[in-house]
Amino acid sequence: MEPTVTNWIDHLSASEVAGQVYPMVGSEIWWVLAGIIFWIWFEVATATGEANEHAKLARKRHGSNDYKSNITEW
Amino acid sequence: MDNELTALTTIFTEFYYWMTVVLMFLIHVGFCMYEVGASRYKHHQHTLMKNTLLIPLVTITWFFFGWWIYWAFPTGPGIAPSIMTESTGLVLGGGFGANELANPTNALMAVNLGDHIMGVFWAAFLLFSWTAASIVSGAVIERITTFAFGIMAIAIGSVFWSIDASWGWHFDGWMLKILGYHDAYASGVIHAICGGFALGILTVLGPRIGKFSSSGEPRNIGPRNPWLVCIGLFLIFTGFWGFYAACNIPIFDLGPEYGMEGVTYFTATNIYVTPTTLSGITMNFLMSLSGGFLAGYWISKGDPFWTYSGGLAGIIAASAGNDLYHPMQSLIIAGAGTAVAYKMHYWVERTFKIDDAVGAVAVHGYAGVFGLVVCGFVLWGYPSSGYNVGSMWVGTDYAPINPLGMIIGAIIMFGVLGFLPGWILAKILHGFGRLRIPRDVELAGLDYNILEQARKDERAVASSNR
Repeated sequence: MEPTVTNWIDHLSASEVAGQVYPMVGSEIWWVLAGIIFWIWFEVATATGEANEHAKLARKRHGSNDYKSNITEW
Repeated sequence: MDNELTALTTIFTEFYYWMTVVLMFLIHVGFCMYEVGASRYKHHQHTLMKNTLLIPLVTITWFFFGWWIYWAFPTGPGIAPSIMTESTGLVLGGGFGANELANPTNALMAVNLGDHIMGVFWAAFLLFSWTAASIVSGAVIERITTFAFGIMAIAIGSVFWSIDASWGWHFDGWMLKILGYHDAYASGVIHAICGGFALGILTVLGPRIGKFSSSGEPRNIGPRNPWLVCIGLFLIFTGFWGFYAACNIPIFDLGPEYGMEGVTYFTATNIYVTPTTLSGITMNFLMSLSGGFLAGYWISKGDPFWTYSGGLAGIIAASAGNDLYHPMQSLIIAGAGTAVAYKMHYWVERTFKIDDAVGAVAVHGYAGVFGLVVCGFVLWGYPSSGYNVGSMWVGTDYAPINPLGMIIGAIIMFGVLGFLPGWILAKILHGFGRLRIPRDVELAGLDYNILEQARKDERAVASSNR
């Protein structure tokens, strides 16, 4: 991978200093798309997990005070 | 930067906004403590995680599109002319307004040696976004699904508040030009909209089981840990200092900005780039906090929850005009706004069976609306912007601050961009069966499985001897 900056002295003494110093300048769109895909995957995965967890717990039909028997002392 | 004065001004401004972000982080710490303190034992962990998850969800969506919206829609689009034209030299990008500037693929949306402001300004607005989502979060605890809340947090944090900021907070916003809207520290832009959004959700979501008797009488489900709630609110107050600071530009030369030839006038400005002083707003912040505390204590007969909430409601009620008010005006407006919020909370609860678990609709929504309306009268005739002064801006007038414009502004904030989207989104999620947790889960407690597992772990450890 070619770094954007290889020599700070050359970079800062150029007639016009390039502002972008992060790696792979020009590929921003692909990083943003990857982020959007990750976000959508997270929404779908956690929504599914939450629905399953709720369905499982609801089937047990605990009373509103049952949790008190699970209060730990540590 | 090749001269010391420019460098000093730029890096001071960069550091100033960076500090506001750090301070505003405390708002979120406070909200987490506050909500856990207000929820019941069997829901604690899910309540905490719901509020924690809004941080990453709003952050990434703010990067993807929230910041873009703020810069893209100041003119509506199409409602008022823009001052960002070739002749003013303020063109920041193509398309709607300056959308290229805040495009997530833009070179400025990253480490860039040519820019020291975009990132910290983006972050300061992001922290406003977290606050927006957190305000809604408290109202819906113990019965909304984490998924639904995540969608709501993104909607209010990265879409609707961003639109209202673009319309009513941007120096080029159409609400300034046509309505004379003025909201220096976000009575409406953050608080009224979020109160309205929360109310829209609550209307569809319904109350917690047991909140109302069979005859419809409301029952008190008070905070389980009032001390955690109080410390949380203290942290929110602390973070609010950062919020106020972030609504200012710390140093700016208004002479050339307004097109006044040969005039140099350095000052701090509010978000509209009109002059104020950090000194003056510090006085007003403290006086409005005090007015809210006093009114909250008096009207609730010394109840700690409402005394602390009163302090917050007081600041919110005075925030619209705290850049210009006299400290005593701030105090009185804050006290009156707090009393209105308190009375409205119980009236709405009793009349419409709305279960607002932490009083968020009252403290943020009603106090925010009150603050906007009062600002229209107290600051009647003040200019809503400095850009209609000077030769550079001829042809683009801004309406002065006035009561009717502020009342319409309050309706837009609370109703059009707050209540309506919250209600519609809640209806959609309800239609898909994803809004509210199942009844048996609510009764058992969201944390039931976690508590049960902890009990098993405890027994296993207690019975072991090596």
